[in-house]
Amino acid sequence: MPGPAAEDLEDLYENAPCGYLSLGPDGRIVKSNKTLSRWLGVAAEELRGQRLRDLLSIAGQIFYETHFAPLLRMQGFFDEVALDLITADGAPLHVLANAAERRDADGGLLFTRVTVFRATERRRYERELVDATETAQAESRMSKGQLLAEHEAAELREQFIAVLGHDLRNPLAAIDGGTNLLMREPQSEKSQRVIGLIRGSVLRMSGLIDNVMDFARGRLGGGIQLSRSSRPLALTLEQVVGELRTSYPEREIELNLDATAEVEADHARLAQLFSNLLANAITHGAVDRPVRVDATMGATGLELSVANAGPPIPPAAIEQLFQPFYRSNPQSRVQGLGLGLYIAAQIAEAHGGRIDVTSDATETRFTFHLPQVEKRA
Amino acid sequence: MTVISRNHVVTAGAGLRPMIFAHGFGCDQNMWRLVAPAFEADHLTVLFDHVGAGKSDLTAYDAGKYSTLKGYADDLVEIGRALGVTGGVFVGHSVSAMIGVLASIKAPDMFESLVLVGPSPRYIDAEGYHGGFTATQVEELLASLADNHMGWSAAMAPAIMGNADRPELGEELTNSFCRTDPAIARQFARTTFTSDNRADLHQVTVRTLILQCSDDIIAPEAVGAYVRDNIAGSEMKILDATGHCPNLSAPAEVIAAIRDFI
Repeated sequence: MPGPAAEDLEDLYENAPCGYLSLGPDGRIVKSNKTLSRWLGVAAEELRGQRLRDLLSIAGQIFYETHFAPLLRMQGFFDEVALDLITADGAPLHVLANAAERRDADGGLLFTRVTVFRATERRRYERELVDATETAQAESRMSKGQLLAEHEAAELREQFIAVLGHDLRNPLAAIDGGTNLLMREPQSEKSQRVIGLIRGSVLRMSGLIDNVMDFARGRLGGGIQLSRSSRPLALTLEQVVGELRTSYPEREIELNLDATAEVEADHARLAQLFSNLLANAITHGAVDRPVRVDATMGATGLELSVANAGPPIPPAAIEQLFQPFYRSNPQSRVQGLGLGLYIAAQIAEAHGGRIDVTSDATETRFTFHLPQVEKRA
Repeated sequence: MTVISRNHVVTAGAGLRPMIFAHGFGCDQNMWRLVAPAFEADHLTVLFDHVGAGKSDLTAYDAGKYSTLKGYADDLVEIGRALGVTGGVFVGHSVSAMIGVLASIKAPDMFESLVLVGPSPRYIDAEGYHGGFTATQVEELLASLADNHMGWSAAMAPAIMGNADRPELGEELTNSFCRTDPAIARQFARTTFTSDNRADLHQVTVRTLILQCSDDIIAPEAVGAYVRDNIAGSEMKILDATGHCPNLSAPAEVIAAIRDFI
């Protein structure tokens, strides 16, 4: 009589936490345990004489005959095979099965022993993994395609801009030359006023083209090239203010120049930066209030600020200001391409400087910081 | 890429008469491992993998070409021509029995004998024809293959393990047997189980032996008899072996039957 600690092997077989079945040499079931009967809802006596494939769906039978049966014959075993057994009420029972052949000394097949484990949850999990993988693959294919298309579109756009900017320069130079010729001859007062307006427009258009060309060069890998020299700051700033006054004769520009020293910079670029900031202030500022320009030379370098009155820029928009093609009101027809501040920031960066923005109800102020390594007397 | 590498063609044997063995749906040329060596003494045995199976070149897989058995038959003819096979013996298991039938019609001088193991010209029942499966059952099979990835990966797991009890199988075999790209396997299943080659049987002009297993669910005895009745002069031998793979389960019986015939 076994003691309480000893295992009851008969009970272990019949009520093990897995299903057991043994097949004779002809592949028919000769023995199975109660656990399997309970799972299938079929008594052991009814299972006896059936083949393993009789417990499978049609699809499972074909799969078994073409894959698992050859594998078992070839290797003498199979492990972790996923099978769907059909229960008495027709529902599938998802299981993982291991099988091993038992052969006699001469290699004759005695039994094939099969162990089955219920794997409903695992099967569902695997199915979800497969679905997730397929979904991820499909999304990855789609986003790769989108990225490629966006990249191609961006490149095309920038090449278009470069060609356009280049082709616009030639007719503009011709108009500029034409007005120069007319200016040398005596003109009526009305003609002089019209020629002045034309020259102002040429100047504005020229500035736009410069910005467009710089944008395209920067995007196409050229970057902004600097040609530094030392020159009095006042010369550069006064020239720009003069040009803008020609273009916007009705607007008042206050220029407060504390910095009279020479500044080490690419002065053509500096003029472009300043012109962009000034044009921005004139375009967006209140029309009846002056635009103020302050230039001071401090210990860290030059600070050049342009301020205008008018409605403040919303904090959320400030972060977008220096993005190319950013326009505060895309419907507005008076604004430009949205490249002016972007190019100004690029020029500041190329000089090792930066542009800061403050905006409140009183004023909106753009300040360009240009560090100077060595101040020249 | 040569035909030889595309189909991983392996030849062996001391004889002059070529004997080509073709595997069916599910596995690869190792299916013949227990049968082909018995003919090496007096034949030149030729084993190969269909494109998509075993060690074939998967880059050669063309879903359009292999959507009908004709694509596979064309490959078989190319292999035979590459090796200069005439008057040879063809031994085809399962779906490859019909592939051999199509090849012998296309190249009548290539084989002088066909041995068809578990052949079926059509798996789906039709009017006046019993194929063994209803159209619905075959669709269920194809659908279950389409989303039953676990079955395919589960088939892989034991194949990757070594087999200490039967070392003669070797690493090479345990690593490749039954290994199939799931997408290709699904298509091969569709090509196989929706094929209908009943009309081709009448065009076979070479002597033919049908090896019919007892109790084969995939190619029932009535189907074997249909093949016999529709290939003029063919004979059918019923094996004691059960199931669909007598080449593995009863190699000695298969070898003896083929020897008697050739």
